[in-house]
Amino acid sequence: MKFSQALMAVAAATAMQVATAEPAQATGKIKCEAGPQSGWVSREKLEAELKAKGWKIKKSKVDGGCYEVYGTTPKGDRVEAYFHPVTMEKLLVSRRGKVIFRKKG
Amino acid sequence: MLYKLINSLYFLWLLLAIPALGALLQFSHNPTTSFDLIHPTGEFSVRLMIIAMMISPLRQLFGRRGWTDWLLKRRRAIGVAAFGYALLHLVFYLIDMAVWEQVVKDAMIFSIWTGYIAFAIFTVMALTSNDSAMRMLRANWKRLQRFVYAAAILTALHWVYVDGEWRGALIHFIPLAALEIARVAHIFTKRSRKTAQVGTVI
Repeated sequence: MKFSQALMAVAAATAMQVATAEPAQATGKIKCEAGPQSGWVSREKLEAELKAKGWKIKKSKVDGGCYEVYGTTPKGDRVEAYFHPVTMEKLLVSRRGKVIFRKKG
Repeated sequence: MLYKLINSLYFLWLLLAIPALGALLQFSHNPTTSFDLIHPTGEFSVRLMIIAMMISPLRQLFGRRGWTDWLLKRRRAIGVAAFGYALLHLVFYLIDMAVWEQVVKDAMIFSIWTGYIAFAIFTVMALTSNDSAMRMLRANWKRLQRFVYAAAILTALHWVYVDGEWRGALIHFIPLAALEIARVAHIFTKRSRKTAQVGTVI
């Protein structure tokens, strides 16, 4: 019984460590070093540009310093895509966690 | 009187239904929120599944006591509710996807088919979560319910791979994993104590 109690304490400590180690918004999938937000293109502008290209957008937000967009590509695929907030360059596209595009470099 | 009411299974059912009612209310006001409801319903399903699964190792570790009996009496309600939230999760996902070919295309991806298999297991478990099914299946009932361990692993993979991130899932699964490890350790220490006793007798 003592041993199992010790194990549970260790597991609980690990959980606390994991929970508090990093801020929740940094998912670690991709990071953009794009300087202060004052220099960023607005999310509305990115969305408008994507819509003009034939995208349908469900939601967009800032994630890891990049713009993250949930939506449908012009081809009709449901994806999660990351764009650079200054250059609006497409950086990473994944479908249900499966990476289908990653910018080279 | 009030205590009896709060402690009743009916009250538990009501409590378990509240988040679902909230989600449905939100959806009825604004159907576009189906996208935002996918994650919370899935998360609720996982939480309830984990709570239901923790009862068995807790009983093995702490024995038959008032509180472990109390939990056991509520396990069926919690497990069926876990299935209910998984069903809502799937329905909101399908509404959000809208296009059948896209649903099929998604189902080919590892992160999604793991979820479907877990859901299939939950469905069978929920359908057999009644006294007549227990009587009919006899010893097989327990064997059938053990598939929950496979469903739990599949659910964890589904979560981690859809998110592309393991932290959220890990936090949820740690209490259950810790209890299962403790349970195995408990069984082994018991066994070694027994063999040690046998040794001294001989």
